[in-house]
Amino acid sequence: MTHHDDIALMAHLMRRAGFGAGRDELEARVAKGYDATVEELLHPEEHPPVDPYTLLRYQPSSLLPGGVPPMGNVNYMYYLVSTQRPLEEKMALFWHHVFATGNSKVDNYDQLLEQIDLFRERGMGNYKDLLLTISKNPTMIFWLDNNQNHGTEVNENWGRELLELFSLGAGNYTEVDVREASRAFTGWTFGTKIPRLPYGRFPWKFEYRGEDHDDGVKTFLGHTGNFNGEDIINIVVEQPACAKFICRHLYNFFVADEPQVPAWNLEPPRDPAAVEMLTQTFRANKCEMRPVLRALFTSDFFKKARYKHLKSPAEVVVGTLRLTGGYDLPKPGYGQLSMQPSYMGQDLLNPPSVEGWHTGQEWINSGSLMARINFVAEQVGNTNLPGVQAIVDRLKAMGVLEPEQLVDSCLDLLGPVEVGADTKKVLTEQAKQWGQIRWDTPAHVEAATKQTGELLQLIVATREYQFA
Amino acid sequence: MALTTYVKGRAYDWSHAIGRASANGTGFNYPQTMCLGTDGDIYVANRGNENNFGMRVNHIKVGGPGEEELLAEFATYGEADGNTIWPFGVAVDKNGEVYVTDEWKSTVSVFDAKGKFIRKWGTPGSGPGQLKGPAGIICEPNGNVIVVDSGNNRLQVFTPQGKLVAQCGKAGSGEGEFNKPWGITLDKDGNIYVADWKNHRVQKLSPAGKFLMAIGRYGKLPVAPNAFAVTYLGPFISSVPATERIPAGILNHPTGVAVDPEGDIYVTDWGNHRLCIFDKEGHPLTHLVGDAQVMSKWGQQSIDANPDMMKAYRRVQNIEQLWRFCFPTAVVFNPKTDQIIVADSQRNRLQVYNKVRDYVDFQANL
Repeated sequence: MTHHDDIALMAHLMRRAGFGAGRDELEARVAKGYDATVEELLHPEEHPPVDPYTLLRYQPSSLLPGGVPPMGNVNYMYYLVSTQRPLEEKMALFWHHVFATGNSKVDNYDQLLEQIDLFRERGMGNYKDLLLTISKNPTMIFWLDNNQNHGTEVNENWGRELLELFSLGAGNYTEVDVREASRAFTGWTFGTKIPRLPYGRFPWKFEYRGEDHDDGVKTFLGHTGNFNGEDIINIVVEQPACAKFICRHLYNFFVADEPQVPAWNLEPPRDPAAVEMLTQTFRANKCEMRPVLRALFTSDFFKKARYKHLKSPAEVVVGTLRLTGGYDLPKPGYGQLSMQPSYMGQDLLNPPSVEGWHTGQEWINSGSLMARINFVAEQVGNTNLPGVQAIVDRLKAMGVLEPEQLVDSCLDLLGPVEVGADTKKVLTEQAKQWGQIRWDTPAHVEAATKQTGELLQLIVATREYQFA
Repeated sequence: MALTTYVKGRAYDWSHAIGRASANGTGFNYPQTMCLGTDGDIYVANRGNENNFGMRVNHIKVGGPGEEELLAEFATYGEADGNTIWPFGVAVDKNGEVYVTDEWKSTVSVFDAKGKFIRKWGTPGSGPGQLKGPAGIICEPNGNVIVVDSGNNRLQVFTPQGKLVAQCGKAGSGEGEFNKPWGITLDKDGNIYVADWKNHRVQKLSPAGKFLMAIGRYGKLPVAPNAFAVTYLGPFISSVPATERIPAGILNHPTGVAVDPEGDIYVTDWGNHRLCIFDKEGHPLTHLVGDAQVMSKWGQQSIDANPDMMKAYRRVQNIEQLWRFCFPTAVVFNPKTDQIIVADSQRNRLQVYNKVRDYVDFQANL
């Protein structure tokens, strides 16, 4: 492979396993090697975690923000933008998408942030452990009404979504299984928390109430016994459908866009062999996520999937802010900044339903597309931001640039971004209007810098830039 | 913890709580610092947030339990003169003028005792007399003002009109060096105490800015096996004490400092959710963790107006979380009343303790 190919592949890895990387970082990672970078991403403990104290010094209300935006989003955005553990944060976002829990009902960003922290901590660990932990997570319990699931009066909300959206997928269980699973989770609830007035929010704590648990015999997915919630999870993760369901989620999130989840029992995977390989790895490693992720990122199907994934709004915003820099400290206005994914259709910490967000082309409509382009264009057009300045500096080091060179270089330094011939022609026509780019006088530097910013704005407005 | 803590001839007795979470009026919104007024009153600088924009300084009469009163509010959110974006430090001079730092605008605004804007000074930068994210502020008896120029990791001394008089300190962790310092106070001899936030210590400097002593080193409180966190960063509540001994003198991001007339030093150990007390030599005496077992007057008003709140309170199994400090940011000692007042920032209240001087121990076999 040429150096450019190496850079392009590393950029692909960092866009998917993280939120992109600037050229300096990409070059350092290429020098380190692809497989070594994958290992580093899989072991986030090698890098320090985000410093929460710095966030709280500047934005103290982001710790217990209550139910009104944007301070909960400020907390989450700060982690996304400043993390040195990109895959850990990406996996937290993945699980937030799968175990979708929202502020619309919970009315408490504190609890949602606690759940995200749980995903950070356990997101690359064992899926079975994570499923058991999320079963006891008070935010999830409230979101899916398991606090109203009593031994004498069963509520099936949690039991149903556990099977339909969190483990097996529709078509792999019966209504009787839903009922029996729900019975097994009776008594799994939380204690009354200290109310919000007058001193602000306090946390929920999981509580098991044996007197409210249905102790009768249940028959679930062909097994019969006096099951409790743990038994249900043990049976669920042994189902072949479970491994396939989780691995299809991984494929959709990290490799290439799949149909929406409700269609998965109707439409086969885009790449059945890839999902099967991941499934076998998942099962062979007894639900450990790290080996599956390693297999995914080092596979040929992943390396060939460049630009087959439409960026989610979180990827658009976080990727842009990490590229342009200047947001390492929370500053006034961070609230509006952290709400940008919401304006593009992905209200973080508040997914539209337990099904999570619809992905792929469904991210795009006329409003969301304009929000994406306007936001990114405003950022990359600000040549005072350090990441944009770094691009300008690299161009400057190249000396005099012909219009075609300017276009190629900007495309390269923004990704590399791969565009079609028509797009390139339009970009080049614009660059030709500026003529040669020179850096030899202050006036030329000023003009060249401005034109670079404008060309970057044109590039991020292209169709191709919406893909990762 | 006990309501009364007795150690080495000193007794600290919890008195009452003041305030509630409120973006305006009778309450607080994430206090960053505070200072004593000239008459037992207190000024609190509230950071607010981008939802409620409760940034402001409020002026409070303290008094005994139930005697608190809101006297004034000023330095509210905005760009104009007399408004603030990120209020941080607050100090009162001998004439009753109130100085407020704005961490974002890198300015110092001056108000009269009733909160009327008088003047401001300060420009952003790192040159002499410029400011970068000013935090705490204190007025010297001679009328000069010391500003914790936190972003520049130094202290700068100004006249009341903003003319630079002196400066000391630079970035680092050595003697007289700072890492994002926060609060500041003076003792009766004019020595300067600075909460050196990211260096996890308090530094004592002479009135001329010479290093004299450092108090504290980095450490986190041990957590008991069955503890649960009130936030993911603590405080950690447990029905049993931690088996591990608390190492003496540890601090985790200290934010505020006060000194009483005997020279005892009070430090808000922000990241460990407690108030640490040291003797004048810097030896640890004890710590207080917050004991707000009685609802504040204004807090009770919130509950009385929302009956569901009281219903919920009556169902809570462990109410201890309610009593404890959660990221306390500031402390002042009132020598006239012997009150130790702690800004319990995440709980948007003040907790008041009395330093009892004539405490007589009780009969142990009661």
